[in-house]
Amino acid sequence: MVVSESNQVVAPPIQRGGFFSNLATGLKSLLKGMGITFHYFSRPSTVVTQQYPENRATLKMFDRYRMRLSLPHDENGFHKCTACTICEQACPNSSIRIVSRKGAVTNKTELDRFIWRMDSCTFCNACVVACPFSCLKMSGDFECSVYDKSLLVFNLTRYAGPTSTVLMKVTDPQERAKMWEPRDVYSGPVPLRGTAVPGGGRTLGAPEPVKASAPVAAPTPAPATAPAASATALAVEEEGGKK
Amino acid sequence: MSAITVTSLDERIRRSIGADGGASTTQEYFVNMGPQHPSTHGVLRLVLKLDGENVREVIPVLGYIHRGVEKMGEHLSYRQFVHLTDRLDYLSALANNWAVAKAVEKAANIETNERIETIRTIVAELQRIASHQLWWGVFGMDLGAFTPFLYGFRDREKISDILEETIGARLTMNYIQPGGVMFDIHPDFQRKVKEFLTYFRPKLEEYETLLTQNVIVQERMRGVGVLTAEKAVSMGATGPVLRASGVAHDLRRSEPYGVYAKAAFDVPVGRNGDCWDRYWVRIEEIRQSMRIIEQLIDNIPEGKHLVVKPAVRTKVPEGIHYSQVETARGIFGVMLVSDGKDVPYRIHVRTPNFNNLWTVTETAPGWRVADLVTIISSLDIVVPDIDR
Repeated sequence: MVVSESNQVVAPPIQRGGFFSNLATGLKSLLKGMGITFHYFSRPSTVVTQQYPENRATLKMFDRYRMRLSLPHDENGFHKCTACTICEQACPNSSIRIVSRKGAVTNKTELDRFIWRMDSCTFCNACVVACPFSCLKMSGDFECSVYDKSLLVFNLTRYAGPTSTVLMKVTDPQERAKMWEPRDVYSGPVPLRGTAVPGGGRTLGAPEPVKASAPVAAPTPAPATAPAASATALAVEEEGGKK
Repeated sequence: MSAITVTSLDERIRRSIGADGGASTTQEYFVNMGPQHPSTHGVLRLVLKLDGENVREVIPVLGYIHRGVEKMGEHLSYRQFVHLTDRLDYLSALANNWAVAKAVEKAANIETNERIETIRTIVAELQRIASHQLWWGVFGMDLGAFTPFLYGFRDREKISDILEETIGARLTMNYIQPGGVMFDIHPDFQRKVKEFLTYFRPKLEEYETLLTQNVIVQERMRGVGVLTAEKAVSMGATGPVLRASGVAHDLRRSEPYGVYAKAAFDVPVGRNGDCWDRYWVRIEEIRQSMRIIEQLIDNIPEGKHLVVKPAVRTKVPEGIHYSQVETARGIFGVMLVSDGKDVPYRIHVRTPNFNNLWTVTETAPGWRVADLVTIISSLDIVVPDIDR
């Protein structure tokens, strides 16, 4: 062991005296400790407890706080994702599934659905760091409780189509509207029993998925505001998909 | 070590009861402590052979929170594996990340810069303080005092906030990556750390008055669960448990990594290896960690926070790569066996808590059940780290 003796501090032994002095030190130490407790008891301003559900208005999470993954959309409602699937490969537990399509107008690969499974996500931030276009962000939205596990599988993109750069090059709004179609949070293939995403989620250790134009299921008209109804609709869709 | 398997345990119980089904033996009996027990800090099961209130033998039974982290690592790239180490010793997530990052950097010949190493050292030391704060609170609670628990958590919250602001997570941080750290430090980081140090110094004195100097607590720790230096070394105990037995072995001193070589700090060692020494060593380590942070916080050099591109799949040259760091509980080592691919062939994790827990089989016999709680608590075990 290469340890120099000089840079050590040795534990002090506990000193004990006779019976009566021990009694005195014992009482003294007890009262000293009680003094600290009383110090805080008599000063309610030192209480640091936050009354959580009541302080929602003032509660502010840090900018880097890692919770619900989001794909920020700019002021025109377009994102920067090119469906390159680097985040999908970076994800350690296959929580991300990129469904891409061939653009009808551009004839290039573009994002159709960005499926993120919160139920298996560990919030490790690997996808955000890996994204070469910085188009992902872990948002501070931490109140994500739902009654049905299937509602933890989100589609992050609000539209299927190319990136904002490509879209903004097209100046004519009507031409631009032809290039994209809307998607909502719960649109797309959503598993119900914690199984792989229909249409080919990658399992751990499996080889890279063969890039193919993903079979796009008909968008389910699942209203995000009615969880029970959407869960039923999705269940029906999954049953139908199996047949 | 035959105690690991459950079958041998059953056999021992049967042998102890005797052929007549226990009719003639009334003295010794077996009691399960755990897996659901507030003093075992998780799902740890200890089978106690008791003689009345006296502990004759302690047999730890493991496996209740085994998740197969090492096997899972064989399917993940090196960068992805880092996030699993958060979940081993969750109170030393940063140090665990660091061990993997160090192993990969050593294997792939990645040179980090001074800034990265300084940031890593500071955050790891901050977390060491936070870990010891939590241990202090829980130790008090195990001894029957509830107040320390509240105070420990109150002050730990300050560190959690500092780390949360920079890292974005409070427990499973995944911050130290091969080739750097995930984010640069937050602009407020240095100011807040300095604020914390000034805040916490008087609080630490309060800790001392409240618990260290309390005679009841002292009497419950003095001479209880003595672990001799020879036994500690032979059982592979590390960290405060080893140092309390009088062996001044600290990786930060003996094999300096990060920028520990630049910082002046003392290694606290104990005299006898009893609970009191283990307690005192940890309290003193908080002081030394604060000293290290104080020296470094104003001298963070400029530079990049990540020296390599964060590629998902990094190939590591063939061979066995081992690295170890000193976490709050002892030596955490990671062995990566690489066959040249982007995923490891085999990963082995050497965790401090496994060996530290096993010292209880040596120290507990002869003490009462209430003392056993003190002994376990003074070892500061984290069960997910034992089972992996």
